[in-house]
Amino acid sequence: MYNFIEHVNGSEPEAVEDEAKYAQFMERIENGEKIEADDWMPEEYRQTLIKLISMHGISEIMGALPEKEWVPKAPTLYRKLGIMAKVQDEMGHGQLLLRVAEDLMAPYGRSREDLMMDLLSGDLKFHNVFHMETRTWADAGVIGWLVDGAAIISQTNMLDASYGPYQRALQRICAEEVFHAQHGEAIVMALAEGTPEQKAMLQEAVDRWWPSLLMFFGPGSAETTGSSKQEVTTKYKIRKSSNEELRQAFLDKYLPRVFSLGLTIPDDTLRYDEEKEQWEYEQPDWNEFKQIIKNNGPRSAERLRLRELAYENNRWVRRALSNEPVVQA
Amino acid sequence: MTEENRNGSSFYQVYEVFSKKSASASFQLQFSLLAPNEEMAMMMAQENFMRREKVVDIWVVRRDHIRGMNPEEREMWTNRLDNKEYRTTKGYGYLRRKWREKEQDMLDEKEILSWKEVKKG
Repeated sequence: MYNFIEHVNGSEPEAVEDEAKYAQFMERIENGEKIEADDWMPEEYRQTLIKLISMHGISEIMGALPEKEWVPKAPTLYRKLGIMAKVQDEMGHGQLLLRVAEDLMAPYGRSREDLMMDLLSGDLKFHNVFHMETRTWADAGVIGWLVDGAAIISQTNMLDASYGPYQRALQRICAEEVFHAQHGEAIVMALAEGTPEQKAMLQEAVDRWWPSLLMFFGPGSAETTGSSKQEVTTKYKIRKSSNEELRQAFLDKYLPRVFSLGLTIPDDTLRYDEEKEQWEYEQPDWNEFKQIIKNNGPRSAERLRLRELAYENNRWVRRALSNEPVVQA
Repeated sequence: MTEENRNGSSFYQVYEVFSKKSASASFQLQFSLLAPNEEMAMMMAQENFMRREKVVDIWVVRRDHIRGMNPEEREMWTNRLDNKEYRTTKGYGYLRRKWREKEQDMLDEKEILSWKEVKKG
């Protein structure tokens, strides 16, 4: 789900560790071979994957936690079941992805516990969209349709990723995302064809989510925020396209559908440039983006608190499962 | 310090999950998961991987109980089939032309595996 990779501290490509091994590694990648967890890999590759996949995994969980809050509020039993199934899928995706990250971190003696601690301390970032508030039922629809739609664009771009375990996890994840997309479409469709009040509610949600959707793919170039590592992911064939190419693909696929429902986009400059074959749009505030992913977004603190509560409230379950009697701390 | 890491990383173990889609199918590796014991691993396997798929059986196996190949072994063993044509039908490809000369069809793999049913007497 996450494309924007922050600058990895202290992992500047050290004078390439072993040139012969590096050349052989790159040859394998060029040949379309898959790299496995116990294969030799350059430090830069390992670090990039850890950053990308731990962020992806934790974002699935940070998205599922507020989404579960919709279950009691969903308008019908069928909608409750649908959103519940989606929440469970997202948690499952988190489990898959954290496993992939853990195997990559094992040589450093780091585990899932460390990732959770990094999240709470702010060292591990989660996706910009999950720092935002949700107000109405239309948000649940827009998140399922457009936020998950954006996620599908970025995840399908990595279905051929050079790292085997990630690529295999993504096959499973993308298959389930199809269900999420249609779940969101169904909610949006009902509102778009509903009463004037429902239509207004949907339009208001689209207006509010628009900048977050543009931000989702990360800045177009490193100059924007000074910290994009997108070139590294394409160099190692982890993904195929740049942030901007993915954003354009998203606009190509979704804007015609947005307009077909009679919805508008809150950007007067938005237009399709036939000559360049791309969408022209007003840039979102990338400084705001930086603040959001630094946990200074509108709901960052509340979402982290949800994660902390989930951890605290389930402590008794872990205690009950422990083989050894656990002494009360 | 939490109870999970009070005794180091031994609270959770990595389990590999295998499942069978139907009675006639083989077991297939699904993915791995973390669980504190076998019973939880079995429950998590169902929760994580079998929410929609049809499944008739599941295995959970502690990863450290599996003797897998290391990268060198994989490299060695995946290249060994280069010279094994004499074990395959490849070397007998000329038979198709021979049989055609005698106005007969080739009994190839597709044909032979279609012989599950024969004419009833």
